[in-house]
Amino acid sequence: MTTSILSLPTLNKLGGAVKQVFTTAAVSFTLLAGAAHAEQAANLDQLLKQLEQGKVAQSAQNKAREAEFKAKVNQQQGMLNDIRAQRDSALKLSAQLEQNFEENEITLANKGDALDKRLGELKELFGVLQQVSGDTRSKFQTSVISAQIPGRGEFLDQFAQSMGSSSKLASIEEIERLWFELQREMTQSGKVVKFNRDVVMANGESKPAEVIRVGGFNLIANGQYLEYIDETGTVAELIRQPSTRYLNSVDALINSQGETTAFAVDPTGGSILSLLVQAPDTRERIDQGGPVGYIILGIGLVGLLIALERLISLMIIGRKVNRQLASDTASDDNPLGRVMQVKDKHPDLDTETLELKLSESILRELPKLSSKLGLIKIISVVAPLIGLLGTVTGMITTFQAITLFGTGDPKLMAGGISQALVTTVLGLVVAIPMVFIFAYLNGRSKNIINILQQESTGIIAERSEREEQAASQGA
Amino acid sequence: MVALMEMLDVITEFMDTGGQVLTVIAAVIFIMWLMIFERFVFVFYSYKAVKKHLLASWDARKDQTSWYSEHIRTALISRGATKLNRNLVLIQSLVVLCPLLGLLGTVTGMIEVFDVMAISGSGNARSMASGVSRATIPTMAGMVGSLSGVFTVTWLRRHAQKETELLADGMTVNH
Repeated sequence: MTTSILSLPTLNKLGGAVKQVFTTAAVSFTLLAGAAHAEQAANLDQLLKQLEQGKVAQSAQNKAREAEFKAKVNQQQGMLNDIRAQRDSALKLSAQLEQNFEENEITLANKGDALDKRLGELKELFGVLQQVSGDTRSKFQTSVISAQIPGRGEFLDQFAQSMGSSSKLASIEEIERLWFELQREMTQSGKVVKFNRDVVMANGESKPAEVIRVGGFNLIANGQYLEYIDETGTVAELIRQPSTRYLNSVDALINSQGETTAFAVDPTGGSILSLLVQAPDTRERIDQGGPVGYIILGIGLVGLLIALERLISLMIIGRKVNRQLASDTASDDNPLGRVMQVKDKHPDLDTETLELKLSESILRELPKLSSKLGLIKIISVVAPLIGLLGTVTGMITTFQAITLFGTGDPKLMAGGISQALVTTVLGLVVAIPMVFIFAYLNGRSKNIINILQQESTGIIAERSEREEQAASQGA
Repeated sequence: MVALMEMLDVITEFMDTGGQVLTVIAAVIFIMWLMIFERFVFVFYSYKAVKKHLLASWDARKDQTSWYSEHIRTALISRGATKLNRNLVLIQSLVVLCPLLGLLGTVTGMIEVFDVMAISGSGNARSMASGVSRATIPTMAGMVGSLSGVFTVTWLRRHAQKETELLADGMTVNH
């Protein structure tokens, strides 16, 4: 009950104290916030004043800012207007230029038409000039005359290009130059000319030589045909020369003193001769035959050696038999002599036994005379057969190539076919001489055997008859 | 003279078209005919003397019946037959050789054709023509040579056989 009965003044006092505390707190707050502007407020009123002053100052500042902003708005507007004006003028310019362009284009087309009309046939002439100079250029590339007169092509190249671009007109000098080049080619192709220039030899060495040009057909030097290579502008000796008959005509032309000589020309201007280089020579040919070809050649060599041995021995035997035919005394270094000795060995045999003895001794001689001849015969038969084998294997290779790559490329097939044919050729090359040699040797040995078989008895009969006659006369 | 030169030129041209094999065939045919002419000369001229000599040496014999004389007769006939048949086998083999050489020419010619194909890579008939002519001309020449020889050799063989028989008939045996 005592606390509830507090007096009013006490209450007031209490309230004042609380207020004080609040104020202090507020002041200290304000002090913290407005430290920049205001000085330390001595009390609440001063603080209020200060606040008011600050407010005023702030609004003034804001006003100034506002004014400044408003001034700037005007300025921006001015700038915007300027830019717009610029854009408008640019658009205008563009429209005008576009119009100009269209106008110019029409004018250009008109002028072009007029130019075409005025050029008329002249334009056709330029087309012809371009074509002719292009054609002539390609003709000069393969012409052997270019070997004598280098650098003709450049002018023609330039001329053809400038004619093709049609922005330039041909000058009279240029047209006349083209005429001159054509005329020069024509004139030179009718002449046989000697001139000196470097020639690339077969071993790759470059040597100066006296080259003879025969029209537009061939170049020759040192008794050899030459080829002209346009890419490098060089003149080279052909690695493979044509047959001696044609080379002789080259020598005849080189050595001629102005008189007329026969000369073999290549009417294609060297392209036939240059194809010669690609044709394989004998060695490469034999290599194309492959292992089968070598086997055939080996067999052929064996056959040849046998034939040589037989030929020599049959010749010696034949000479001895002939000598025996001429003489009366039987010697044992030859078949006939050995047969005739049978009579001498058995002087007192009756005729029938003697005949048997004779045929026995002849039979003994036969193998020596006809030995190895059968081998030659076999070789002459076997060689073409092996050639046929090579043909078949070559064809198998060809068909394998066809299976793998199709028939599109004849070059692939041609390789196998040439292998097939080369073995056939080798077989025939071995067989033909063997047939001939066999016939010859067989003839020789048959001849000797004939003498043995038919004449030996006759000779013996003649001799014994003569002996008997001599004996009877003596008696 | 000019005509002769021209003929020579034509012949060389022909030999060139036929290739090397044709030269060999020509040589073989030449040798063959040389031998055939030698035979003809022998058969028509020299043989008469030989025959006369052989027959005379038989007729000169008094004894024509004994064992000796029989063998001497065989020897005499064989001597004549050997002379008549000399070289005939060789000529025959040359006749056989001609078509073989022609075949060789065919094959080498075909190789050339295929070479052209391999080089040009195309079946251009014009560029293959030289190879084809090298393939066909030797075949033809071989055939011609062989045919020309076949008849004469057959005649010579039969003539030799007939003459041998005549020789045997000429040497009469008196039994």
